[in-house]
Amino acid sequence: MNSLEESSTNIFSLDNVCFTIEDKIILHEINVEIGSNGITGIIGPSGSGKSTLLRLLNKLISPCKGIVRFKGKDIAEIDSHELRKEIGMVLQRPFLFKGTVKYNLLYGPKIWKIDYTDEGLYKLLDTVGLEDDFLERNVDGLSGGEQQRVSLARSLANNPIVLLLDEPTTALDIVSEEIIESTLKRLATKGIKIIIVTHSLEQTKRLTDQLLFLKEGRLIEKTTSKEFFKRYNDKEIHTFFKNKESK
Amino acid sequence: MVSQILIDIWESLKLPNIWIRIALSFVLLILLIGISIWQKTKLESKLIFSFLRGTIQVVLFGSILGLIFGVQKLWLLYIILFLMCLFAAFTNARSYPYPRMFLIGFFAITSSSIIIMTLVMFSFIIPGFEGIIPLDPVTLKLTGEYVIPIGSMVIAFAMRVSGIAVERVKSDIIKSKGSIEAALALGDSPYRAIQHILCESYRAGLTPTINRVASLGIVTIPGLMAGMIIGGVPPVEAAIYQVVIFLMLLSSSFITSIITNVMFTRQFFTKKQQFNIDFLNRMVKSEDQKFGVLLKESWIKWREKRKRKKNDEKTPK
Repeated sequence: MNSLEESSTNIFSLDNVCFTIEDKIILHEINVEIGSNGITGIIGPSGSGKSTLLRLLNKLISPCKGIVRFKGKDIAEIDSHELRKEIGMVLQRPFLFKGTVKYNLLYGPKIWKIDYTDEGLYKLLDTVGLEDDFLERNVDGLSGGEQQRVSLARSLANNPIVLLLDEPTTALDIVSEEIIESTLKRLATKGIKIIIVTHSLEQTKRLTDQLLFLKEGRLIEKTTSKEFFKRYNDKEIHTFFKNKESK
Repeated sequence: MVSQILIDIWESLKLPNIWIRIALSFVLLILLIGISIWQKTKLESKLIFSFLRGTIQVVLFGSILGLIFGVQKLWLLYIILFLMCLFAAFTNARSYPYPRMFLIGFFAITSSSIIIMTLVMFSFIIPGFEGIIPLDPVTLKLTGEYVIPIGSMVIAFAMRVSGIAVERVKSDIIKSKGSIEAALALGDSPYRAIQHILCESYRAGLTPTINRVASLGIVTIPGLMAGMIIGGVPPVEAAIYQVVIFLMLLSSSFITSIITNVMFTRQFFTKKQQFNIDFLNRMVKSEDQKFGVLLKESWIKWREKRKRKKNDEKTPK
């Protein structure tokens, strides 16, 4: 894919992006275009800057240097409030608000004055594989997997065009993980651009179409998942994750 | 002013009752020293020093208070209240050493206390009403005798509640960082994302005073009301006066905690509706330090307890 085609399909572009906290460099001069159709995975060992990169995309943090562009526009010039309507985010833990599932699902729509009937909310629950009777249930009584699915549905309630996910299945059982993965695949076919941070190579294989490989805050590789897993065997990939100097 | 204070002190010292009281205090002091020697507490010199220092301080303070109570100039009364607010903010900033705490405390305590005190001081303009704070019967002016003690109560309450509010809000924001970020990620504003935390902090600050109001006359008999009744004011009048005072305290405390919280929590976020990572990290560190101090204290206590237990075991019965 040439660069012209890439810029027309990729929704984010990062130019020379750096991020530091208390003099510690988390991201080094990242130049990349992200968010073409399908699911993009961001992988790398712990502390490689994956989550930081994801948080830069919906302006939960701002780069110390460089520009992040969303649909060609510098996000520093886009109102954070407006930007976050179009870019949904699911964090590693669900962080549901106290109350019912309905309260959580309507949290975003109330901000944006989006009207939802109960039917619409049932559809949202159905998208994440939850039954209608969940709507009036208190979030305290839900399992970890159910809570994370409610968190996913809560992000979808704003009708985002991009969905960012930060290791959403880390603390979940296999069944919940499968449900969330199949939901994400379905959403991707509907045209929602999905960018997921994961540390699981198996999940990357199963789920992603493209991937970014980060290490020690540097972008090591951007390629398609097929190509990545064809080029390197599991042993080599594990070495990438372990050895500090393997670039 | 100083010479007046000294003259007053000198005049008071001429009264025989004062010397009898001082002599009786000395008898008690000697008794205390005797007990201290008997119990081998080695507190004798400390007792004598504290007694002498305390006596001099309280005599000077009482004399100055006498002068302040006599003040009838409105601008001077405001300056005294202003200085009290300044010291309250300073005390708060020392107890809660967070960025801009002095300025925040000073602005919050001063604005709320001065607003409430002004409303109270000028309530006499209501036709046929003598005012919440009575005027001097001769000069028909406000006097320090009422304005300063009531002002000190209002300021002290505001100071305490604003401290509680800040501490609570800081801990809750750190604890709820994840859900606040989840709300921001959905497009919410920082203020709305922490609104429930602010509400909880107001409740924490105001509930003890509300409970005190609810138990008035049954559990608590406030000093002001008791003093007024002893001074000959009819009980109903004194009681109503006390209720008004409590409402003043609650209002100023509430306004102070709102101003403090709004100004303090703004520092947690940037204009881009993100967490201010530097500020957040500083607050997390201060919370960790607080935890560290608690941990250290419990460790010391545990060690002392263990040591005592060992000594007890060694001591032959």
